[in-house]
Amino acid sequence: MELSEHIKTANVEDVTLKRPFHPALRGTLCVTSHHLLFSDRKDEASWQLLILLKNIDAVEKRAVGSSGTITIKCKDLLVLQLEIPGMEECLNIASSIEALSSLESVTEMYPFFYRPSHLTLHGPWGLSSTEQYYKQTERLWDRWRVSTVNSDYSVCPSYTSAVIVPREVDDDKLIRSARFRQGGRFPVLSYCHHRNGMVIMRSSQPLTGANKKRCKEDELLLQAVIDGSELGYVIDLRSAQQAQQARMTGGGFESKSCYSHWKRIHRHHERGKVVQESLIKLVEACNDPSHSVDRWLSKLENSKWLSHVHSALSTAGLVVECVERDGHSVLVHGSEGTDNTLLVSTLAQLILDPASRTVTGFLCLLEREWIQAGHPFQQRCAHSAYSHARLKLECPSFLLLLDCVWQVWRQFPLALEFSEALLLRLAQEAYASNYGTFLCNSEQEKCAAGVKENTHCLFQSLSKPDIEEQYLNPLYEPNDLAIWPSVHPQSLQLWTGLFLRWTEYAQNMVEAREEVWSIVKEHREKAGPDRSNNTPSTHCDTLTPFENLMDELTIL
Amino acid sequence: MEPLADVAMLPGEERVIDKEIIYICPFNAAVKGKVFITNYRLYFKNTDSDTPITLDVPLGVISRVEKMGGASSRGENSYGLEITCKDMRNLRFALKQEGHSRRDIFDILFKYAFPLSHGMQLFAFLSQEKYEENGWNVYEPMDEYRRQGVPNSEWRVTFINKSYELCDTYPTVLVVPYKATEEDLKRVATFRSRCRIPVLSWFHKDNHAVITRCSQPLVGMSGKRNKDDERYLDLIREANGTTKLTIYDARPNVNAVANKATGGGYEGDDAYQNAELVFLDIHNIHVMRESLKKLKDIVYPNVEESHWLSSLESTHWLEHIKLVLSGAIQVADKVSSGSSVVVHCSDGWDRTAQLTSLAMLMLDSYYRSFRGFQVLLEKEWISFGHKFASRIGHGDKNHADQDRSPIFLQFIDCVWQMTKQFPTAFEFNERLLVVILDHLYSCRFGTFLYNCESVRDSNNVRGKTVSLWSFVNSDTSLYINPFYTPESSRVLYPVASMRHLELWVTYYIRWNPRIQHQQQSPVEQRYKELLAMRDQYLKKLEELKLSDSTPSSTHLTNSSTPNAATPNQHITHLQTPF
Repeated sequence: MELSEHIKTANVEDVTLKRPFHPALRGTLCVTSHHLLFSDRKDEASWQLLILLKNIDAVEKRAVGSSGTITIKCKDLLVLQLEIPGMEECLNIASSIEALSSLESVTEMYPFFYRPSHLTLHGPWGLSSTEQYYKQTERLWDRWRVSTVNSDYSVCPSYTSAVIVPREVDDDKLIRSARFRQGGRFPVLSYCHHRNGMVIMRSSQPLTGANKKRCKEDELLLQAVIDGSELGYVIDLRSAQQAQQARMTGGGFESKSCYSHWKRIHRHHERGKVVQESLIKLVEACNDPSHSVDRWLSKLENSKWLSHVHSALSTAGLVVECVERDGHSVLVHGSEGTDNTLLVSTLAQLILDPASRTVTGFLCLLEREWIQAGHPFQQRCAHSAYSHARLKLECPSFLLLLDCVWQVWRQFPLALEFSEALLLRLAQEAYASNYGTFLCNSEQEKCAAGVKENTHCLFQSLSKPDIEEQYLNPLYEPNDLAIWPSVHPQSLQLWTGLFLRWTEYAQNMVEAREEVWSIVKEHREKAGPDRSNNTPSTHCDTLTPFENLMDELTIL
Repeated sequence: MEPLADVAMLPGEERVIDKEIIYICPFNAAVKGKVFITNYRLYFKNTDSDTPITLDVPLGVISRVEKMGGASSRGENSYGLEITCKDMRNLRFALKQEGHSRRDIFDILFKYAFPLSHGMQLFAFLSQEKYEENGWNVYEPMDEYRRQGVPNSEWRVTFINKSYELCDTYPTVLVVPYKATEEDLKRVATFRSRCRIPVLSWFHKDNHAVITRCSQPLVGMSGKRNKDDERYLDLIREANGTTKLTIYDARPNVNAVANKATGGGYEGDDAYQNAELVFLDIHNIHVMRESLKKLKDIVYPNVEESHWLSSLESTHWLEHIKLVLSGAIQVADKVSSGSSVVVHCSDGWDRTAQLTSLAMLMLDSYYRSFRGFQVLLEKEWISFGHKFASRIGHGDKNHADQDRSPIFLQFIDCVWQMTKQFPTAFEFNERLLVVILDHLYSCRFGTFLYNCESVRDSNNVRGKTVSLWSFVNSDTSLYINPFYTPESSRVLYPVASMRHLELWVTYYIRWNPRIQHQQQSPVEQRYKELLAMRDQYLKKLEELKLSDSTPSSTHLTNSSTPNAATPNQHITHLQTPF
């Protein structure tokens, strides 16, 4: 079935668009294969709203007399209302949106059709590969190697074709270890600390099962990781009890008797549905139209979102403590090793490694730890906070990561090279994008669908040398130290830039920013070319006061 | 005189006693050391390790001193003193159990912390501090009214209260409707609680709308009316042709009704036909005191961790902040739309001061400047008789006094909330707010002493004590917000939604060592550097332009006056729903 066959009514005139904190607009609504387009009627200065259909999380219709109202709730948390004259048109539009926004075939998605003139499809895809990372990290050369045992994705379908493992462990051992780990995710290197050579490894749980099965090769692999030093830490992202229970369903943990040089620490992390439901509750609380004072803080607390942020940051802190303070290597895993594991390993690196705090470094980190490490974006981001569909595998792990990074950014306003705007952009792109970066669930699936040949890479586009200045933190000062975020409840704050981005306050800030921007432009035009040479023109897209402040300093 | 361990004593400060003692630090273990008590402060320094642990507590901060344990108490460090402070902390000291070792220190603390209860003077009167500037000159009422554009054909200055005969809690200089005679004022005074008649607080230069403040009308159970009062409010309304005068009664409706029983009340519809009465639902001093007490319970000494947000919610502190702020927003919004308003609560010295001063802060950018803020405090709080002595209990041992209440702290918190939402709009920084609060209690300066001007005059506060502003203005660099961008006359409406209010962690939880590292100082430091760089850059640019000769002179003006050309971007928020 062609995409266009889903479109029963392509155009409706006289539609009224209502957005929060904006006056209603009348105009024409179009549905295309991938977009919803609203254009204001006024001939000159026409205003358009273009929304990727994939961004639409829920469509709600309501009849009012002979016309209908459609409420569109987007994955980026925006809520719109469209009043459509004619009940039939209304129903047609709604069903077209519903059908087209829930396409499951990757190759039909918009990134396969997005062809901006300034980008070409040739050349390498992505910022870096495992091999390149290995080459750049001299510290690894001695004891570590790149293995291509997974080159056809048969050992671990969710890993990349190349992984970094201890030099002394051969591919056969890796294959056996993979069989002993859920989803084949055997322990691989995630990070090697530049100060002391200690490493962070990640994997999935071992399949010890009820009979306490062992795997010699898996034990050897981990033994090789610590290479003679007395001790490594396994940070298990489940409570001890949960880990015990996992044995009943074939999973398990590294027992002391089999992995004598590894000390296990359990930290309970919520996962999957629970986290998704937190997001739903949080967004519900944020969108509560009653401005009543009562219960906001309780609602915020009951959503438990901030407690997930707390767990993630404090476990990352624990990993950092092991690696940096105590000088031990760490293996991180939960069950599948595709969500909380990546969350914790990413945050630990952000805290430890100054190189991961630049724009490119951060994007490389995300590419390694989320894209290449096989976070199932397509499943996790199929729906966001508004959908009425039954939840399947949705879980806002990546959003949680971005929130944690924002907390770090807020506590260390000078330490990160990127701005809040970059985090907001990534939050949006993960759910609906013009780029292929967040498509599919693994590299294997990406290859099968031809993503690298047929779509553009978001990270490449973001980290071009002429990166948009709005994504830069004008206050950035490189800092060699570990940046330990405080995880006290008083130190963690709601990420208003994301969760309240469509409310009055954010709207105020947006208007303020637009005004700044127009004045900046006017200023430049007046000043002529010689000025623009000298003038750092930071336009900040973020909603934070500090960013706006910088405008004032930099637009001069 | 021997210096006090390692801090310099203030001129006029004298040592009274020092003693070996154990400070039971809630964040570390017990710390051995020495405590020094002077007529101004309690200073503690540890002697048991090289990492210094010190306490420097002005005695004015102390609200209560108690004995802890007895001579026969068992357990380590069970015998000593417990000190409750007004600034969100408590201190515990242990002493040796033998020989009544705490008796002398307890007696001395009790005497010097509560000098007024012992027929002694507050330290402000003993201090010999000298500063270049005389902070008592910061606020000159006539200058301030002239700055506002008063007197004019609608409003006049009256000296009817020059010897506090009309109203003993008002200042001497008052601004009243031009058409109101002195006789009118006297008659209105009979109908307003404590004779606090409606007088002008602020005048809007463009639309001539005004904020006036007063106390409740003495309506009583019988629903008394007073023609003079009614006519007087109508004069306020007529002054700029406001169609309906809005009377903001800060109290919840029920409380206003209840006040009738004690002779008070509110302006009824029948009597004041050209006025509209709005209740702002702000609770009284007792509710605020209990709320802050609950807040202290969850932040000191241990911060409630497991259910932080719901515990915070159950204190209702932020909810009260929200109500005060949204009340002030309504006042400011009404005035900027051209309508004059009257603001009162019961006596017009607590909630009224909060509302008028916050509304003025929103409406008038002058009050957001370093000096202007001092003027605002001097005017709306100090001169109009916020009862600092009663609310804070300076030098008074009666810690359970029902008159005490953190109304001024709540106001400063509201100001802090505004500075968070508009980080470039205020010339001063958070540090100034904290210093103001510290010296609200310290009794080192005369600024916040006594309940009203008449008492301050009779105690010759201006002659015998130093003003806080002398101290603050002697080194302003500490308190300047480097991000400040002066802007003109835009109105600043904060968002008074719970979602956008934060607990002022760096004040309320500042004693907790784990909170301290979060202060924003690195950002400030960086900004200062950037500002310096900007200045350099501008200078360079100017030089380049000059050498570039004349045709680009228009550019030069642009680049050399950055602030005029930069947008008032934060101030574009024109309307806020409550």
